[in-house]
Amino acid sequence: MPILSTLIWAPVAAAIVLAFFPNRAQTAIKGWGLFVSTAVFIISLGLLRGWDDGRAGFQFTEDKPWIADWGIHYSLGIDGISVWLVLLTTLLTPIIFLAGWNAIHKHPKEYVIAFLIMETAMIGAFVAIDLILFYIFFELMLLPMYLVIGVWGGARRIYAAIKFFLFTIAGSLLMLLAIIYLGFVAYHQLGEPSFNILDLYGTQLTPRVQALLFFAFSLAFAIKVPLFPLHTWLPDAHVEAPTGGSIILAGVMLKMGTYGFLRFVLPFFPQSSERWATLLITLSVIGIIYGALVAWVQPDMKKLVAYSSVSHLGFCVLGIFAMTQTSIEGSILQMVNHGLSTGALFLLVGVIYERRHTRLLADYGGIGKTMPVYATFFIIAVLSSVGLPGLNGFVGEFLILAGTFKTHPTAAIIAATGVILAAIYLLWLVQKVFFGPITNEENRHIPDIAWNEIAAMIPLVVLMVWIGVHPTTFLRKMEPSVQHLMTQIGAEPGGKMMVAQGGSQAHRRIGSQDRPTTVCEPMSPCASEPRSGGAQ
Amino acid sequence: MTLHPLLEPGWQLAVLPELILSGGGMLLILFDAFLPRAKSALAPLALIVFIATTWSERLFVQGGTYFGGTYEISPITMIFDLTFLLAGMLALLFARDYLDREGIEGGEFYALLMWGTVGMMMMAKGLDLLLIILGLEILSICIFVLVGYHRRMPVSNEASLKYFLMGAFATGFILYGTALFYGATESTNINTMARWFATTTQTTPLLTIAFVLLMSGFGFKLALAPFHPWAPDVYQGAPTPVAGWLSVAPKAATLIALVRLFNAMGPVLPKVSWMNMVATLAILSMIVGNSVAIVQRDLKRMLAYSGIAHVGYMMIAMLTVREESVAAVAVYTIVYALMNIGAFGVVSLLMKNENDPHTLDDIAGLGFRRKFFGFALALCMFSLSGLPPTAGFISKFFIFKTAIESGHTTVALIGILTSIVSVYYYLRVVYFLYMKEPAEGYEISSAGGVFAVGALTIAVAGILAIGLYPTPLFQAAGNAARALLQQ
Repeated sequence: MPILSTLIWAPVAAAIVLAFFPNRAQTAIKGWGLFVSTAVFIISLGLLRGWDDGRAGFQFTEDKPWIADWGIHYSLGIDGISVWLVLLTTLLTPIIFLAGWNAIHKHPKEYVIAFLIMETAMIGAFVAIDLILFYIFFELMLLPMYLVIGVWGGARRIYAAIKFFLFTIAGSLLMLLAIIYLGFVAYHQLGEPSFNILDLYGTQLTPRVQALLFFAFSLAFAIKVPLFPLHTWLPDAHVEAPTGGSIILAGVMLKMGTYGFLRFVLPFFPQSSERWATLLITLSVIGIIYGALVAWVQPDMKKLVAYSSVSHLGFCVLGIFAMTQTSIEGSILQMVNHGLSTGALFLLVGVIYERRHTRLLADYGGIGKTMPVYATFFIIAVLSSVGLPGLNGFVGEFLILAGTFKTHPTAAIIAATGVILAAIYLLWLVQKVFFGPITNEENRHIPDIAWNEIAAMIPLVVLMVWIGVHPTTFLRKMEPSVQHLMTQIGAEPGGKMMVAQGGSQAHRRIGSQDRPTTVCEPMSPCASEPRSGGAQ
Repeated sequence: MTLHPLLEPGWQLAVLPELILSGGGMLLILFDAFLPRAKSALAPLALIVFIATTWSERLFVQGGTYFGGTYEISPITMIFDLTFLLAGMLALLFARDYLDREGIEGGEFYALLMWGTVGMMMMAKGLDLLLIILGLEILSICIFVLVGYHRRMPVSNEASLKYFLMGAFATGFILYGTALFYGATESTNINTMARWFATTTQTTPLLTIAFVLLMSGFGFKLALAPFHPWAPDVYQGAPTPVAGWLSVAPKAATLIALVRLFNAMGPVLPKVSWMNMVATLAILSMIVGNSVAIVQRDLKRMLAYSGIAHVGYMMIAMLTVREESVAAVAVYTIVYALMNIGAFGVVSLLMKNENDPHTLDDIAGLGFRRKFFGFALALCMFSLSGLPPTAGFISKFFIFKTAIESGHTTVALIGILTSIVSVYYYLRVVYFLYMKEPAEGYEISSAGGVFAVGALTIAVAGILAIGLYPTPLFQAAGNAARALLQQ
């Protein structure tokens, strides 16, 4: 079986097998979930081994007719934009099983099944190159998440689950209509029905239709990201979801939105994207600042991390719509970074919640003395999220801001204050929880982080350092694909981007080839050295 | 050996399914009368009759018209026949355990189900409005009795009477409309009418009145808004498996009759505003059905309003009669049969008695206690709300795709927006199933034996199979639609 199909179908097959496990065999159930998801992760590493670094297009492609009469195919493929997101998915799934080993007492079998189905859906959505197939996976991941929040969530879980579902479905159903319409227009131009995105990329649309479709797609993805002012479902969903649900939601599911912008919105609707870029950039900058300010005043740790997600994902959207090679690469890297650091933060908040059953900052203080190992991990995760040089968050945010500065300097300057705010509210959190005298007697004897939680944290910390110290490993794989994306959106008639960016295709290619050296090793010269075709 | 000029050779084979069902029904009544103690044999026998009928459909590989051009056998009638048989079989299997629990099992129940199916087959195959009305009446009489089958329950009797009075009125509308069509086109035969419509360039007020009357009557049978208010009351009072059957099969039969009628009027339709009228009915149904369903606490009433909305979706495809749209309607009715009868079936199995309302609270927490039933109901809900990877998604996708290709983008947009609303109340059922604790002192219903599990397995497998690999069904429906429209 080809690797991508294996990755997609192994989890769901394992879930079906799991349905026949006896309910009482809890250890076997959890062990099976951990075993399968680890195996899937190991298989997914095969993607890197067989990876062709020089190729911009899709690799590991598969194509079988599915609903042939309508041109719908089971088409899979992976490129530099999606590869790290797939690996992030396969990495985080075993981590949630490991971290939640002792946390889930209610219906563990259904819990594991839900997460395995979610893994299938998430991988499927990242590797589908047929629009309908993508849509099916995109929607499929809602159902298990709805159940995870609703069944295993906190006190207001029902409200949160339904709000999450309705927000997302409202956007995606409108996108479905837009997909059908796009397919219909493409049918007339191609002469045969097709929903393959490679066929659809070239579809010529009148400005009005393009604008309408652009907004239908953007709405779906903006809700998913979520972009201000559509973010209101996110804090509720995060606070009520169980730890595993929060990790997957923040780590992977939100990236469906940013991935959707990159994969579909920019290349399908380049003129509209360019025309409305200012709107989206404005919204993402508002989101960055607003999310940071709201996070600052949160008394609840989980809510604080949730609002920090709003802020951090604002950076991703900002980088995408700044439409420079640097900012888009930064944006993709930042998606991965956010998955690692926010995933780690949610995991750690879950750890302490398990022990003390409270997430209020006011209930803690000085627990760095009682839980030293835990505190160390927490501080690493916080520093990664803040963007400390040497850890992953810095590289992503830096690339985004550096790229954005060329096209939208004002936005970059305002967004940069978001980095400062992040430092304030996250370090504030650390100070209140870990330092100072122990204010609450109950905190004097909290057991420190357990073996399974340490095991779950270690890969995350390793990657945080790896990306921070040597991001080339990651950037090298995405570079040709991002370049290709730039060609797609830049080569369109009337595209001002090429002029604005001040470079022809050739320039950009030259510029980006020597980029790894510029970006990674010396941190300072990057800012002063204009990269893509600075000659103009 | 021609007995009569109207009896073409081979007519016996043409009506073989109808003959088997009619005869089988009579035998079942006699069986119950002579062997009243062998009630447990009734359902298996009825199932055998249905399976035999399904098998007899295979005998017709090529179609034709019979009885003087009034009765057509073609791929499309075969697909609809199979839909009716599927609906009948599912209803029968769910009814078996239900009737047993309520202590009202009898041969006539299964017989009425079969004869109702015969009526629907006549509606699907009839090429003459009078024959369609005849089929409709056979069906309606069976429905009157089946709805009131729970004799000792006042709600059941009330529902039956309501349906009878309003149904009779609706039939009157259809008959009157047919009479006016006859006055205008000098025929009640659909093919003759089609020829007449092909030559005409304008319509008269007489024709418009005839169309309005027919649409009102058929609108009643379809439970299209604003002709829908009977549906919630009747579904609530009817025995639950009957309600499931009633919400699907008669609608399918009416839709295929309407397809024929709209197809015959094809040349005139673009020139008149009749289709705006139909579009209005579709939009009203989607809005009324989906928004009123939100406030329903009774599951059967909620499913009734959801059914009103679903007919609205099917009517979107009917706005332009093309190959794809007919195929979309055919696919949608099959899928709808699986998911809606499945949903009603689970409701009938999970409730401890029939007298009380079937409120959402009654299913609280059952998802983890009766796992298969809970899963099946949740799947039916996901399918009804049109979420992938279920058949409901594929069929709804087909409808919206057809609508956009025919240029009805606005109606499709309203359809999408109302589906967003519908997600809320379908998911609420899932919420009660899995996220609520069961009520104090709740006892699990005793119904749910091998028949019900078998029926649910069929429904679940069908929903998933069509959702994951719809191509064979699409091709069959597409070929059938092509054959229908080429005549």
